[in-house]
Amino acid sequence: MSSASEAHASDGHHDDHGDHHHELPFWKKYIFSTDHKMIGIQYGITALLFLAFGFYLMMVMRWSIAYPHEPLPGWMSWFLSDDWKARWLQDGKVTGETYNMFGAMHGTIMVFLGIVPLGFAAFGNFVTPLQIGAIDMAFPKLNMASYWLYLLGGLVMIGSFFVESGAAKSGWTNYSPLAGFADSQIVNQFLAGQTQWLLGMVFLISSSLLGAVNFLTTIINLRARGLTWMRLPFFVWAMLVTGFLLLLAFPPLEVAALMQLMDRTAGSSFFMPSGLYTKTAGLLEASGSGSPLLYQHLFWFLGHPEVYVLLLPAIACVAEIIPTNTRKPLWGYKSMVYAVIVLGFLSFIVWAHHMYLTGMGPVVSNFFQTTTVLISIPSVILLTSMLISLWGGSIRFNQPMLWAAAFIPMFGIGGLTGLPLAFNLVDLHLHDTYYVIGHFHYVVAPGVLFGLFAGIYHWYPKITGRHMSNFLGHLHFWPSLIFMNLLFFPMLVQGMAGFHRRWYNGGDAYLSKASDSVNIFGNTVAEWLWLNPVMSWAAWLLAAAQIPFFINFWTSIWWGKKIKNDNPWDATTLEWSTPTPPPHGNFTYDVNVYRGPYEYSREDHEGDFYPQWEAPKRDEPAEEPAKKPVA
Amino acid sequence: MEIPYTFTARKDTGLFNSKIGIWLFLASEVMLFGGLFSGYVFLRLYADYPWPERALPVLPGLINTFVLIGSSVTVVFAWASLKMRQWGRFQFFMGITIFCAVIFMVLKGLEYNAKWHHQAVRLDDFTILEGHTHKAELDERGHLHIHHEHGAEPTEEEKKRQFPANVVVVEAEEINFTLVRAHDPYVKDILAKAKERGAVPVLADNAFFYGSPKDLPIDAAERKKLEDQLIKSHASGKEAVRFGDKKDSLYIPKDTQLTVDLLDRAEDVYLEARAINGEVRTKVLRKLWKDAREADKEDLPNFKLAEGIQIDPEEHLTGLVAEAPSALTFTFEKPVALHFKRSLIREGEGSSKLKDDTIIKGAVASSPMGLAVDAVDLRWVAQRAHEQGKDPKTVIEGLWIMENPEFKEIWERHSAQLAILTEELKKDGREPTENDKYRIDWQDLVAFHRAHEKHLEPGSPEVADLRPGMFEGITGPNHKIEENQHAFFSIDIPNEKVGFESLFTPKWNNYYAIYFTLTGLHGLHVVGGALVLAYYMFFSKGLYRRNPEWLANRVEIGGLFWHFVDLVWIFLFPILYLM
Amino acid sequence: MADSVEEIKKAQKLYILIGLVLFVFTVVTVAVATQPWLDFGAHGFDKADMTIGLLIATVKATLVGAIFMHLNHEKKLVYWVFGLGIIMGIALMLLTALSFADPIKYGNPKTGDGFYNPEIPEIN
Repeated sequence: MSSASEAHASDGHHDDHGDHHHELPFWKKYIFSTDHKMIGIQYGITALLFLAFGFYLMMVMRWSIAYPHEPLPGWMSWFLSDDWKARWLQDGKVTGETYNMFGAMHGTIMVFLGIVPLGFAAFGNFVTPLQIGAIDMAFPKLNMASYWLYLLGGLVMIGSFFVESGAAKSGWTNYSPLAGFADSQIVNQFLAGQTQWLLGMVFLISSSLLGAVNFLTTIINLRARGLTWMRLPFFVWAMLVTGFLLLLAFPPLEVAALMQLMDRTAGSSFFMPSGLYTKTAGLLEASGSGSPLLYQHLFWFLGHPEVYVLLLPAIACVAEIIPTNTRKPLWGYKSMVYAVIVLGFLSFIVWAHHMYLTGMGPVVSNFFQTTTVLISIPSVILLTSMLISLWGGSIRFNQPMLWAAAFIPMFGIGGLTGLPLAFNLVDLHLHDTYYVIGHFHYVVAPGVLFGLFAGIYHWYPKITGRHMSNFLGHLHFWPSLIFMNLLFFPMLVQGMAGFHRRWYNGGDAYLSKASDSVNIFGNTVAEWLWLNPVMSWAAWLLAAAQIPFFINFWTSIWWGKKIKNDNPWDATTLEWSTPTPPPHGNFTYDVNVYRGPYEYSREDHEGDFYPQWEAPKRDEPAEEPAKKPVA
Repeated sequence: MEIPYTFTARKDTGLFNSKIGIWLFLASEVMLFGGLFSGYVFLRLYADYPWPERALPVLPGLINTFVLIGSSVTVVFAWASLKMRQWGRFQFFMGITIFCAVIFMVLKGLEYNAKWHHQAVRLDDFTILEGHTHKAELDERGHLHIHHEHGAEPTEEEKKRQFPANVVVVEAEEINFTLVRAHDPYVKDILAKAKERGAVPVLADNAFFYGSPKDLPIDAAERKKLEDQLIKSHASGKEAVRFGDKKDSLYIPKDTQLTVDLLDRAEDVYLEARAINGEVRTKVLRKLWKDAREADKEDLPNFKLAEGIQIDPEEHLTGLVAEAPSALTFTFEKPVALHFKRSLIREGEGSSKLKDDTIIKGAVASSPMGLAVDAVDLRWVAQRAHEQGKDPKTVIEGLWIMENPEFKEIWERHSAQLAILTEELKKDGREPTENDKYRIDWQDLVAFHRAHEKHLEPGSPEVADLRPGMFEGITGPNHKIEENQHAFFSIDIPNEKVGFESLFTPKWNNYYAIYFTLTGLHGLHVVGGALVLAYYMFFSKGLYRRNPEWLANRVEIGGLFWHFVDLVWIFLFPILYLM
Repeated sequence: MADSVEEIKKAQKLYILIGLVLFVFTVVTVAVATQPWLDFGAHGFDKADMTIGLLIATVKATLVGAIFMHLNHEKKLVYWVFGLGIIMGIALMLLTALSFADPIKYGNPKTGDGFYNPEIPEIN
């Protein structure tokens, strides 16, 4: 039970043992850094800020749903300029146009600016090279470029809120033909929010592509001596598969964005059908013969792997935290590895389950239904393995474990509610209802986000040398858990009753006479509309519950409990063998890996855990002989 | 502290880092171009109009293919030279590679340029005409005059007055600008065109902007008094002063001339007024809601209130809000002929609208489109005839363009040639294609013209040999050659008959859209690759001295990217040019 | 990169040869497409032209990949990585194109003799 170096609460000073003695200037060390740890932190902080922004958008949307005819209250709108409010609020009320704009940007920001950068880029960047025993990523300058492209894309997206046309407002999925001609009345298209959304996406996609190339090369080629594939922590496997998903699935979306850009700026008709007529613009002045379906295919070809890109980093974090805090190995490591690889592969051929209502023929539709149902198997394997890992463990309920333990049932609900949607016949009823919203939010919000919070609490001591406050952690966790469920569970109920999504006025249309009709589950929407204010208040209280987290995150840097040694959780993976915080170059010793990643409570070892880096005693053989080179 | 395996191979994978990196990147590029190709397949399979076949001149594409293949060979030789430590030879081959890239882009530029000057129009009966627009100008009476003559080069002054004969002429009486939408270039354009005709748009009515409520006189009679005062003081020669000397308000008297600055000032005050009104209305509505809730002493969820109770702040607002018009109208003394590009204006009954919602009130004058036609495509007419169960021949004979005597003669010659072709093909049991039957392209027109000059009858077998070959007209029909000018006939298309028109840009149809997107993206990759290779050619001597193997690996990576760019072109060329 | 200098010296002749082969193939593709005496199927552009053209293009691409890009003696990992990209690209193209070519429902795309015959719309 030893760590390879002394603990010292340091401040990021990287005076290591004498190789390179170059003190970088401030701007090169903190701003234009090529060090994966600094880049990881940059990604993390930027992503958290974007997540907060996206959360605010949702709060305004929930006001509109719960109280559609009332003006926004002061506490939600005091910081908005009068000009902006005059343009976008009607007498202070949220208009349909504003709701659509907020809805589209909420989705975009949360997915592309929030979770993917936080999960894949932030955690991946910081932890992966450490866990494989590398000194940095394979292409550090490319890594830096990825971050700045991401920031640029994000700023373009946020900036689009302040142009005259407003930000994109055609859904985060940005379907043509609406997205092709929305904001088309703006003469200079580069000042139109819809066009800026596309430009932002091009930057973000390029950033992710470069990041994926970096990650994959690093994991393949920079593993430490003795770190064979089956000795990799599951975290690294998950990042590997995520990298492949990003690499191969993002380019078709880039193509779709490019083609939609051409539609908007060059007047092409890639996605504009013939004879398109709109109230504002009349008969569209375009050549027609385009296909809105083509856009959907290209979008969802990314869209489905994208949700696994959201998920896998969270599973990665949880898969590290559970063994550490149950003091026993991850159950079914090998099956999990195979499951995640199969998951990655299958995720490319399920995409049209988002398109069941587009009129595809039954043969193709059944093909996608089959693959979609099949893909639930590896997901269940992953979740079940993590659940079984808890059995018989000596569970330490620290903050990371709390969040990781909550991840399992929350993600379970999310995943299970996805199963009905996989069947094309059932999806006929549930498509575009709140059921879908409930399902994917369960997976992402109490699912993925809890997993990522767990990761933050878990690796914070390694990054800063201090623990986050346990008390504030509880203040963050318990209300979050309760309000997440209060917010999203009713959506499942409303959705099954038939409540349509993306309607800004809380469904008051369902109060008219036509709503006496009952759906096949025996529900009317009207009887469930009373849940709207309940859910909205849950959302606003959920926002309040994040305040302890923000306080905790920032104040613990200076006032958190100091760690006793470099390995405060007594974990076995390589990142815990570095000084705290890891210096430039990460490791102060020659890294050799002698065993698997989760050697806890071994009967034949006297210590409580047997870290990967600890050399065996002379009379012990090394663990299973290193495999032949993979060449 | 150096990152390992940057140029030495790792034992178990057998690769160094950038090799893995570039193959990963190339896999993503396969997906990128694969996405575009799948788009091409989808659009072509499910097109509802006749997809252009063999519409592009093949020669530039063919030369570009040779150029890229050659550059692929030379880039491999450049790498080989580096491995053999022959610096001079490396620079030589790299130089050729980059030179090939330049030739490629130049040819591409020539191709694009030709297309962007070539006009196409689909008439309302689905006849498609392609050609170059003639030049036109407005005469003193404001009538459109199209120049059909192929005379001498126009003078400088003439060039300023002339414009492509693809405009809509409006006898403008009034112009209404929406303040927040008015696009400055459009305003300047209208001012310039009006100036050319010797007219200036002036404000139709007095405009009063009360930007801030504190400027607003509370009493309507008092307000009238103040406005009269202002009008009087303006008439007596004083400059238009700000209303009450207060910053937030603005008074623009009637007959003020239109300037961009004026519209900007008015827009500023309008926005201020809008912001204030928003704030006031919000406050009022909040109070009304609060009262409604307290009055009933029940907690009323909103959607219940929607059923019949509408809380409207309107009645409670008198005297509280600022006033500012959102649009200003300017008039001309008498109607002025203004011309606008056809794609920028939407004509309506008695008034037309520009893209920024500027409304131009006035009748649309005769605005024919003057075209020197170099191709006629009736395939869509035939397709629609088939779909409607009619005989294509009959439909074609009833087309508007048949009334043009020059075209009638061309169609006769074409039908005669088609008969000969059909006979020949019948011997092998084959049929002429839709293209053969219904499309007359520029080579046909030239052949017919030559036949006419040679006094050959329609249907003479020699006519087929009179077509210009692959090497004439490398980028398409050249309207500057005199022979072609006689071969291509002129036509004036009345405004009502124009269905859809465009230059040969992505707007014209999806074939050109995907062509430009695919070749444009590919061209960007060519430029990017060439820049990387140029960097290695010019700036790597230092690295060569320090670590030649590392440089050789880097050049190999660059070469791999270059080969991929060549690979994409290998597929692009047959798909876009030959199919 | 594992090529030794001797191997490269020998390969140079091969590179020139392959380059010439590529030139010839290009000419053949253009000739088949444009010259009437090389019409294999129906007159003008038809399936035969398309098949031959794409086939030749695939052969050319394979030659460039194998010899110029050294894929004929690359490491297994590169085959895996690039191969995965190719497979996914094909999956994208195939499934997208087939999503409306459902033989049961639509029959032939142009005549629609399946169960569901879509109305071909009037274009105004």
